[in-house]
Amino acid sequence: MTYLGQVYAILWKDLLLELRTRERVAAMGAFAVLAGILFNFSIDQTAVRPQDIAAGLIWMTLVFGGLLGVGRTFHLEAQDGAFQGVLTSPTPKDAVFLGKTAANFVLLYVVALLVVAVFALFFGLRLGTHPGMVALALALGSLGFVALGTLFSAVSSNTHMGETLLPILVFPLLVPMVIYGVSATARLLADRPIAEVAGNLRMLGAFAVLAVAVGAVLFRYVVEE
Amino acid sequence: MPSKRLQTTGTVLAVLGALGTVALHWMVFFWTPTEATMGVIQRIFYIHVPSAWVAFFAFGVVALCSAVYLWLGDERLDQAASSAAEGGMVFTTIVLLTGPLWGRIAWGTYWTWEPRLTLTLLLWFIYLGYFLVRASTDNPERGKRFSAVVGIAGALDIPLIHLSVVWFRSLHPTPVVMKPEGPTLHPDMLVTLMVGLLSFTLLFLGLFLHRYTLAAATHLVAVRERRAQA
Repeated sequence: MTYLGQVYAILWKDLLLELRTRERVAAMGAFAVLAGILFNFSIDQTAVRPQDIAAGLIWMTLVFGGLLGVGRTFHLEAQDGAFQGVLTSPTPKDAVFLGKTAANFVLLYVVALLVVAVFALFFGLRLGTHPGMVALALALGSLGFVALGTLFSAVSSNTHMGETLLPILVFPLLVPMVIYGVSATARLLADRPIAEVAGNLRMLGAFAVLAVAVGAVLFRYVVEE
Repeated sequence: MPSKRLQTTGTVLAVLGALGTVALHWMVFFWTPTEATMGVIQRIFYIHVPSAWVAFFAFGVVALCSAVYLWLGDERLDQAASSAAEGGMVFTTIVLLTGPLWGRIAWGTYWTWEPRLTLTLLLWFIYLGYFLVRASTDNPERGKRFSAVVGIAGALDIPLIHLSVVWFRSLHPTPVVMKPEGPTLHPDMLVTLMVGLLSFTLLFLGLFLHRYTLAAATHLVAVRERRAQA
């Protein structure tokens, strides 16, 4: 089996598991919609325009909702020692990490698009003239987020603090993603020219690449016995 | 005990550092000239900047020892990394306490989202994660590996965090010592700063060596207990 084949096998296994249980996507999706509803009541729409603050709220919903799902990456497999089976298979540990990160990415990206749809529906948010670029910013941010999230979810799920530890480990490292992601999205929603967000998108991409590389290298030290 | 000599070195360095710190305080209060625009409050700079240097230097030690620990698996590297992390967290706390005191007078606010403040605050939280991970694993070997992963990921992310927060906003005084055209500080101020940097570094190294020998001794006790039980 080729390396990519192994990554794909892990990715498909995780997606299939999610398709059958629908636990994590349901939790994250419900969180996104409910957060949108609460945000509606938390904003005085006569004082601020939702269009102006939507970018920050979208990214925060994504971070908090994403943590909910990503934190449970290893939850199902921890039961009955299923993950031990994955680890004892000849698949390299970094292929396991890449497969799981890819599966988490698919889940989180679906939720990210749902979050934007919720904001468009509830707040009448207009996506500006470059909706494709908004989608790209969300994709790059989601990729960096799930890479760090998957790595530290493997850490936190093996501690007795469990998922409560995850935000403490991940949030400080997510600062670049939030800064570049929110500013790129805010500018796109405000119809500013593409040239103003190119730099931010490049930094988001750099963050994602670094996060995936760091995770792929360090993952084996987290899961080995 | 092979660590006897290390312990002695640690004591010597710590005493030198402590004496230097006393001398530094005398210089700060009685010797160095008062800065023209900021006034007396600027004197906190001689405590603040050396602490910041040690805080980030210690994190460098943590990251380096953690990386080599994961690579070679030598116990001593983990003990060095965690000892440096403890010292680093103390000095990061000093930076975060002295900075706002100065900022209240010089900027008129305790806290602003200025890049270096933000980075130091995040560094403190990365240190916190490092210790929480260690403390909350039942298997100590696992805790060591987990905290090493936190240290390395933190160290690799810090340049990106720095870039992003600089891009976000900049208000901190620009460097007055490390710049291409040479330092613009008054010579007496520069001397005071150098004394501060030297004594805080010695103090850190002294405390670090003591903490390290303590960690090594604790490890030895654990190993012997296990052997006695077997």
